[in-house]
Amino acid sequence: MQPSLAEPVEDPAASTGREARRPAPPAPAGLGERGLAWLLLVGGLIGLTAAFVLAVEKYALLADPTYVPSCSLNPVLSCGSIMASAQAEAFGFPNPLLGVLGFPVATCIGAVLLAGARPAPWFWGGLQVGVTAGAVFVHWLIFNSLYRIGALCPYCMAVWAVTIPIFWYVTLRNLNELRARLPRPLATAVGAAQRFHGVVLTAWFLLLAVAILHTFWLYWSTFLV
Amino acid sequence: MSANLKISAALVAVFAVALAVFGVVRAQGGGDGLPAANAAVVREDSHRLSSAEDGRVTLVEFLDFECEGCLAAYPFVEELRQAYDGRVTFVARYFPMPGHANAENAAVAVEAAAQQGRFEDMYDQMYATQTQWGEKQESQAAVFRGFATDLGLDMTAFDAVVAAPETLERVLRDREDGIALGVEGTPTFFLNGKKLTVTTTDEFIEAIDAALAG
Repeated sequence: MQPSLAEPVEDPAASTGREARRPAPPAPAGLGERGLAWLLLVGGLIGLTAAFVLAVEKYALLADPTYVPSCSLNPVLSCGSIMASAQAEAFGFPNPLLGVLGFPVATCIGAVLLAGARPAPWFWGGLQVGVTAGAVFVHWLIFNSLYRIGALCPYCMAVWAVTIPIFWYVTLRNLNELRARLPRPLATAVGAAQRFHGVVLTAWFLLLAVAILHTFWLYWSTFLV
Repeated sequence: MSANLKISAALVAVFAVALAVFGVVRAQGGGDGLPAANAAVVREDSHRLSSAEDGRVTLVEFLDFECEGCLAAYPFVEELRQAYDGRVTFVARYFPMPGHANAENAAVAVEAAAQQGRFEDMYDQMYATQTQWGEKQESQAAVFRGFATDLGLDMTAFDAVVAAPETLERVLRDREDGIALGVEGTPTFFLNGKKLTVTTTDEFIEAIDAALAG
């Protein structure tokens, strides 16, 4: 008999119903299950679109490798110029292919969750591995974009913008599941992170905004003259 | 409104206010940020690669020794200098791009050579070797010092000028002029004080011919 059958049939009043049944503390996990499902679905679609456009740009670039761009103060470049960098093929093939592979999986998982699936813990573990790898890779790309290549590409930034929240909320959800087994101080920290999930995410994005402003200050300052 | 939302909104607000204050302070504390009215396309201390006898036509290039686009333009500029020798004044001004880790170092080294009357030699050397030292994150100052040694410069004087903060300030004053004049990248050319917007070398030559005829 599958454990999911022990759960009630459907949950339109998701959070309230579940909290009553669970022995775990009743804090809603970050976005809640449905919120997380929507995030995966929509975030995955946005990421997929951006990665697909980048992959197409890569082909366009391969068609004309002789083009020498002038050097611009404006950091917002066509993604093609960034795609010409060595970092654009971290694993020997164009990075966007990773996004074209990974984001549909996120979308699909989001849809399956919305359809009422209750995945086993190992499934969540697998998703955690995937989103963690994605987040690490995206931060490596951010670092390179800001401090090595010195340019910003809008589609790449769209990928950053969806990968970070997906990682954050999947992690929060999984930590919440483990909470009862965590040592007490850690469990308290997880509880605080659950309650202030938006604060952490906002701070994360603001930190990136500060780094972007700082690195390209000379360009932004031309608007102040 | 939950505490989560309130604190998040407060963070964004604090960020926006800090940014606004910082921006205004920077814009007003403008001792070094020259207003556009005082910006000059050519200054007394700007380096002239060639001078026209009559001084009627002047072509100014804002350049970055680490910029590939400038390297691509360099042979063309050399051709122009030959073709218009004695008829057009060619001026080079520094515009080190912030994304290029050694653009400022290169400009400072060229400026130090210029103070020993060897601006053009160092300028040529930078472009001739750009592919070897460009796009590197580590300082290439030692490489540039090697160029100075090869040129037979007085190294005590060279080292002193490279180390002096005034040299970098001199380089950045060029860039401030450029920014105030609307330079957004390199290479950017000004023909008789007006920004050139040409897309082909033929248009470039036509513009110079027109200026000489006018």
